[in-house]
Amino acid sequence: MPKRKLDPLPSAAFQILLSLAEEDLHGYGIMRQVAEQTDGRVRLGPGTLYSSIQSLLEERLIEELDPREDVELGQERRRYYRLTSSGRKLARSEAEKLAGFLRVARSRKILRGNYV
Amino acid sequence: MSEKIYALLLRLFPSHFRKAYGDEALQLFRDRDRDENGFIPRFRLWFDLLADLAISVPREYFYADPQLLAASGQRLGCTPSFYFLGDESPRPGALFLGGMLSLVALFTFSSLLSQGGNHRPRNSSARQLRRGTVPSASAYKRPAPQAAGDTSSTSGGENETLAPTSGHPTMVSTPFTPAEGKPGKSSSDAILLYDPSHTGQSSSSGQRDTGSPMQPTPGDAATTVATAVGHGNLDAAERQRVVNAAIANLKQHYVYPDMAQKMAEALLVKEKRGEYDAITDGDIFAHQLTKQMRDVSHDMHLELVYSQDPLPPQPAGQTAEGLARYRDAMKQENCTFEKVEILPHNIGYLKLNFFPDRSVCEQTATAAMASLNNTDALIVDLRDNRGGMPDMVALMASYFFDHPEYFFNPRENTTTESWTHSPVPGNKLADKPVYVLTSSRTFSGAEQFCYDLKMLKRVTLVGETTGGGAHSGVWHRIDDHFGMGIPETKPINPYATPDWEGTGVEPDVRVKAADALAVAENLAQSKLQKK
Repeated sequence: MPKRKLDPLPSAAFQILLSLAEEDLHGYGIMRQVAEQTDGRVRLGPGTLYSSIQSLLEERLIEELDPREDVELGQERRRYYRLTSSGRKLARSEAEKLAGFLRVARSRKILRGNYV
Repeated sequence: MSEKIYALLLRLFPSHFRKAYGDEALQLFRDRDRDENGFIPRFRLWFDLLADLAISVPREYFYADPQLLAASGQRLGCTPSFYFLGDESPRPGALFLGGMLSLVALFTFSSLLSQGGNHRPRNSSARQLRRGTVPSASAYKRPAPQAAGDTSSTSGGENETLAPTSGHPTMVSTPFTPAEGKPGKSSSDAILLYDPSHTGQSSSSGQRDTGSPMQPTPGDAATTVATAVGHGNLDAAERQRVVNAAIANLKQHYVYPDMAQKMAEALLVKEKRGEYDAITDGDIFAHQLTKQMRDVSHDMHLELVYSQDPLPPQPAGQTAEGLARYRDAMKQENCTFEKVEILPHNIGYLKLNFFPDRSVCEQTATAAMASLNNTDALIVDLRDNRGGMPDMVALMASYFFDHPEYFFNPRENTTTESWTHSPVPGNKLADKPVYVLTSSRTFSGAEQFCYDLKMLKRVTLVGETTGGGAHSGVWHRIDDHFGMGIPETKPINPYATPDWEGTGVEPDVRVKAADALAVAENLAQSKLQKK
């Protein structure tokens, strides 16, 4: 049975890394952040979300923090996750890779505009 | 209610996932359920959840349990170790699935096993066929008995050959002819006896050879063909040469010219189509040509053979030296007259393991029969007899008649030699009961002895059905590595019963070969008592 692999980095995992770039979040927070940063296109279901979180934890790209309450959401204690330095590095390199693709796409006149 | 439904759905995930993230997943559902109100958001929520289940559940089962991976990482060296990986027993669903998969695997394996048992790769079956048709590498070589000019004892000097064909195509004996492939009509031609198991290999002048083991000789086609299996590195020129020579030989020698023409055309068509181009293995090539000739003619005695070792350019054993070796061997073996005894009740017992060349062994045969002349009944044991020379077969049968009888030989056209030499002067056995013991090893010339005497209602056959080798082809050498056997005669069988080709001769009293002697003795005794 194979171990989970993050090479190439799945889209869901990349979105999770991005979502954690600015603040520590719990699962639902990550889901909402991802939905926000993708304009609602990506809504991570529980299975995909926690499966990805598990992979990222195994690879030490994120780390789990001590459970605590989210004042907005009530009394339940929640597990929070934080981006590690290697996770940040990986997110950056992935973003650069995508930026490279974008440049190619623009040079091929697939995308308009000259930013990125 | 919704939460309960989702809690149930969560059970679809593997236990390691539920254990690690089941609560979080449920919590996330609650959060969304709380926040996403209204029909459309609620519909979208369930759509997301179901899509997520469809994707993540199989993936979670596919991936390894981290505990398993961790456990495997803890192994120390090669020391076997055991870990408890979970404290819950497998779910009934998992047990059921596992059971079903095991049954399917077991069924598949057993059916594959039973089907696979009948499968043989083409090449190996071809080789097996070859082993069945020619003697093994340990086949005995018998030097040819005589030199040129000694044709008086042959059956018309024909180059007939004995062909054991027990269902398989075989070419038993083949006269060696000179390189140009001229059929052996002259006295200098030799005959090789190809026998599937062993026995006599060569003789000359239409004589068939006998049987005591002697040293293998490189010049023996039987030996060389056997060692040739599966080798070769044919080029286009060689293939062309062999096909051309095969066609020429067929047209010149095959007993039915029309059929020869058809076979020649078939071979040419195949060649033009390039069907031989990829064949570089001589043995496969020979097998292929043989098959195509037989496909057209349905004549199982046509055969093209390949020998890795060069085939002798001259017929083996034509030399005086070869003849001397043959005589010595026969002398040593008492011409394969293994036992000549008088059993109780004055029953004669003769065990003969071959019908050797008459020119060499006639005296031995005469002496053996003379010593049995005063018996009241005779048992001829051919259970280990692998064939031999037709003139010796006729000579031995001569003792059982008081007048000449036609002795049908499916390998030869009728000649003056096709009759027994009865009456034999001084012989008293012509009217005595004779029992012939047979086994599945009884073969070729020995079968002729059984068949004809049975057809003439002169003997009682006791034992097993014989091996079934009746027909023959004449050997034509093509080049150093290829030769072919071609039937050149089609004798007419005077009897209504077909000859023993492929079927063997049925015994009159069917018993196991091992019991045949005892049974025959009893039969002889009771017959004598009735007198």
